[in-house]
Amino acid sequence: MTLNNNLDAVVVGGGVIGASCAYFLTKAGMKVGLFEKGDIASGSSGGCDGSIMAQDHQPGYDTNLTIISNKMYKELLKELDWDIEYSEKGSILVIETEDELKFILDRMKQQLACGLPVRFVDKDELYQQEPLLAPGFLGAIECSSDAACMPIQVAIALVRKARSLGAEIHTFEEVNDVKLDKKGKISGIVTVEGEISTSRVINCCGAWAPFLGKMVSLDIPITPRRGQLVVVEQTAQVGHRIMCEAHYIVAKFHPELAEGADSDILKYGIAFNFEPTASGNMLLGSCREFAGYDTRTTLPAIRAIVQRAIHFIPSLKYLHCIRTYAGLRPYTPDHLSIVSQVDEVPGFYIAAGAEGDGIGIAPITGLLMSQIILGQKTTIDTYPLRWSRFSES
Amino acid sequence: MSVNQNKIDNEDLIICRCEEISKKEILEAIADGARDLRGVRIRTRAGMGLCQGRSCEVLVRKIISQQLGTNLKELPPSTIRPPVRPIELRLFRGNNNDFKQ
Repeated sequence: MTLNNNLDAVVVGGGVIGASCAYFLTKAGMKVGLFEKGDIASGSSGGCDGSIMAQDHQPGYDTNLTIISNKMYKELLKELDWDIEYSEKGSILVIETEDELKFILDRMKQQLACGLPVRFVDKDELYQQEPLLAPGFLGAIECSSDAACMPIQVAIALVRKARSLGAEIHTFEEVNDVKLDKKGKISGIVTVEGEISTSRVINCCGAWAPFLGKMVSLDIPITPRRGQLVVVEQTAQVGHRIMCEAHYIVAKFHPELAEGADSDILKYGIAFNFEPTASGNMLLGSCREFAGYDTRTTLPAIRAIVQRAIHFIPSLKYLHCIRTYAGLRPYTPDHLSIVSQVDEVPGFYIAAGAEGDGIGIAPITGLLMSQIILGQKTTIDTYPLRWSRFSES
Repeated sequence: MSVNQNKIDNEDLIICRCEEISKKEILEAIADGARDLRGVRIRTRAGMGLCQGRSCEVLVRKIISQQLGTNLKELPPSTIRPPVRPIELRLFRGNNNDFKQ
């Protein structure tokens, strides 16, 4: 492919965030080049589940961001010509103890105030809906708008669409350096193929964002956080919605309630998460652990995930695990993504750090980035996502 | 391992039986930018089924090597992930202490 030697914007990273930025910038009329060191979705977007979930988020800004993004997915379905396996299957948050119940019902009021379609499902209704759930649970919160998709296909679909609108897609082409002019503004990039001039670089490298940051002397506070998952064989799905546990959310705010829990659950940050996929498989998660850039799966964490899943759905015992996999979530200290320009390096932008929410907020992230670059009014206030927050404290 | 050339010339031939993926679909994935087994896998699901590519991997490698003109030996293997064969979830028993001497 011949290199266009003057691009309006260079997107670095071919995961869902980079693909979304490339798509929305191209759609807005810019000449965009996307550069990715491997194939599309070869990093975290190829090592995660497909939940587009709002009910496990903090009520407020975080929830609003996902609500908007989820609505955008439905619009994207009309624009993309590649199946992303999107399905608004809904989710339930299963409640086990009286302490959890009280906390979760209070929280539900805040979620309703955000406009999230949540409701309490009592014990009788829960067991009617989910007969395979282990006995003894008190009820659940149902969120009818939560959805799932196939993240790899989301990235591929957005890249294909961006390409058809005129974007240059350079996979297997690593960016080795970012060039600045005499005034310290972005002037180009250097890849294994050569030099490309551009006045804008968008860092969409997720857990690898700090490496691109270093090329322009920025210290980006993103750390890789590993999540491991289990793929269950294609068979009668033991549940038709996303299922997760209330305990994990409660324990985040009331650590004393987590005392006495199995040590492996605490050690590997285990929380029950069940996702039936369009292919007929089921995914079991989740875990969160700091293990550098190691993307291998480990027996202790996988075992803890499986045991936690069986605690909720005992009949999983007799189904087969066909594969395990892991991915690196780009973790930021305040659990919020960075979607921002960087004032100290004019022309440098960051769209990274969504930790486990990258799939859910990919559409809104791409749209916001295009609005920031074009100086348009943003769909939602981007102040909480600003880069400068890290130097203010 | 060698593959009889004539046997994989037909584009309607199912290469991945678990996911019912034809040779035609694999060729389209390569045209879309797939360069290796993983690239074909993510675009078509070939190798994502019950056998995890144990049956079709040799054929997919052969097709990629033919299309891209790369030496079969230089094609990277697919990512190896446990378990080596499907196992029942109830077998994940015990806890971390079992490993301690």
